[in-house]
Amino acid sequence: MEQGTASAVEPTGPGQRTGAGLHAAETLGVALLLGVAGYAAMFIAPTERTMGVIQRIFYFHVTSAWTGFVAFLITFVASIAYLRSRNPKWDWLAVSAAEIGVAFFTVVLITGPIWARPVWGIWWTWDARLTTSFVLWLLYVCYLLLRTLVDEPERRAVLSAVLGIFSAFDIPFVYFSIRWFRTQHPQPVIGAGGSLDPRMRSVMLLCWAALLAVMVLLLRQRYRMEMLRHEVEDLQTDSARRGEPA
Amino acid sequence: MALLRPTTILLGKELRSEFRTRELLTTTWVFVLTVLVLFSFTFDPTQAESRQFGSGLLWLALLFAGSLMLHPSFARERVNDTLAALRMAPIEPVSIIASKILANLCFLLVAEILLLPIFAVIYNLSLVPILGPLALVLLLGTLALSTVGTVFSAISSRARMRELLLPILMLPLLAPALIASTEATRGLLEDPPVLSLSWTGLLAAFDIIFLTVTWLFGEYLLEE
Amino acid sequence: MLSGLQSLMAAYFAVWAVFFIYEITVSRRLGRLQADVERLKGAAKR
Repeated sequence: MEQGTASAVEPTGPGQRTGAGLHAAETLGVALLLGVAGYAAMFIAPTERTMGVIQRIFYFHVTSAWTGFVAFLITFVASIAYLRSRNPKWDWLAVSAAEIGVAFFTVVLITGPIWARPVWGIWWTWDARLTTSFVLWLLYVCYLLLRTLVDEPERRAVLSAVLGIFSAFDIPFVYFSIRWFRTQHPQPVIGAGGSLDPRMRSVMLLCWAALLAVMVLLLRQRYRMEMLRHEVEDLQTDSARRGEPA
Repeated sequence: MALLRPTTILLGKELRSEFRTRELLTTTWVFVLTVLVLFSFTFDPTQAESRQFGSGLLWLALLFAGSLMLHPSFARERVNDTLAALRMAPIEPVSIIASKILANLCFLLVAEILLLPIFAVIYNLSLVPILGPLALVLLLGTLALSTVGTVFSAISSRARMRELLLPILMLPLLAPALIASTEATRGLLEDPPVLSLSWTGLLAAFDIIFLTVTWLFGEYLLEE
Repeated sequence: MLSGLQSLMAAYFAVWAVFFIYEITVSRRLGRLQADVERLKGAAKR
């Protein structure tokens, strides 16, 4: 698997190399867990009767959505914490979690059509889960977009925090309104629910655990990146104040 | 309530300043009308189809018009930095936002009242028997549009690309309100008309929740 | 038209690819920022 780069903010030295080594080890561990979960989903879970092999996408398609929700929940909590405390670390956490949530919903939006095509012969269906994922994906892409359009760091943090809070409260409305809408105007459903065989449920939970581990790993890396970016901005302001070229 | 009096006074100011020129109102009304006419070119509505699609077209047109016309809400305070003056007044900052939400609600409702007869004629719909429930759905839906639009106007007016940013931010967030308003209105246009309690309830809940969130967190948007 | 198994492979690959690409992008950006920090700190010392 890929090698991580420096994770500590110290200058070059043994600390930095240990940080890099630790990150590489963590990445390897998470990759292994993901591999185990993938293996379980492919070979250990029983084959579904109606859809056959293709149904195994389900284990990552649905769990990615769940993990995306968790990420957006983190953004919500971090946004409120930022407005209360004005500590920039909460802002760094909020944007990192939002970006990773978008990444997970991207997975949902990619695996959905890959699943739909062999089963229904169409690439896209406006079924409840895909539509909800699409709207939520858009919602938080807009959050990220806002951040690129505000230059001043503190104003950016405050505006995104408010947007983050509004977006989070929208999530249940999006979920229910689309679900009710789809019961009245049905469309082909990707992976009908129904009761789950206990072995299927265990594999599902294993896949979810693996994805949560991926989420935490990516979150920490992205948080470090935001923290460093902040430090670079500070240093650049300092050097500008001293009158040096950037 | 310490909120009520300053909100009312500011609301009066907003309404007076708009009715002096009425430019926002006229522009919104013309825009929605144009959109409705253009929609009719994209398909040929029969009576039955009008009942099916009419509600969606109406709300889409309102959504687009709203996303354009809500922008000046906070943008025009920037010209002479009147927002700073408002902030210095001994009032709750939330009154400023509340008054703008109510003012925008009034503007949009007036535009809709002027619009409805024309909409009914163009799409051959009989609105008189359902006027009461329709007014309720319009009120709830427009309140959603006004609340989110005004708050996001405050956000986008402090970012770059502000005219474009407002619709981009608003539309995904308002998706549930759009669905609920359209479905509730569609039910009313059916034969016999049906007022859907679940959709109307969802709209009401949407309004309550987002007004509360605005009340709790709105003041942060007015900071320097 | 892809068979069921091929679609499954494609989906699993897509899942892995999204995370892999994201991790690589973030890590590279992190490395560049780390270099910037060192450069700016070095300039400040002089």
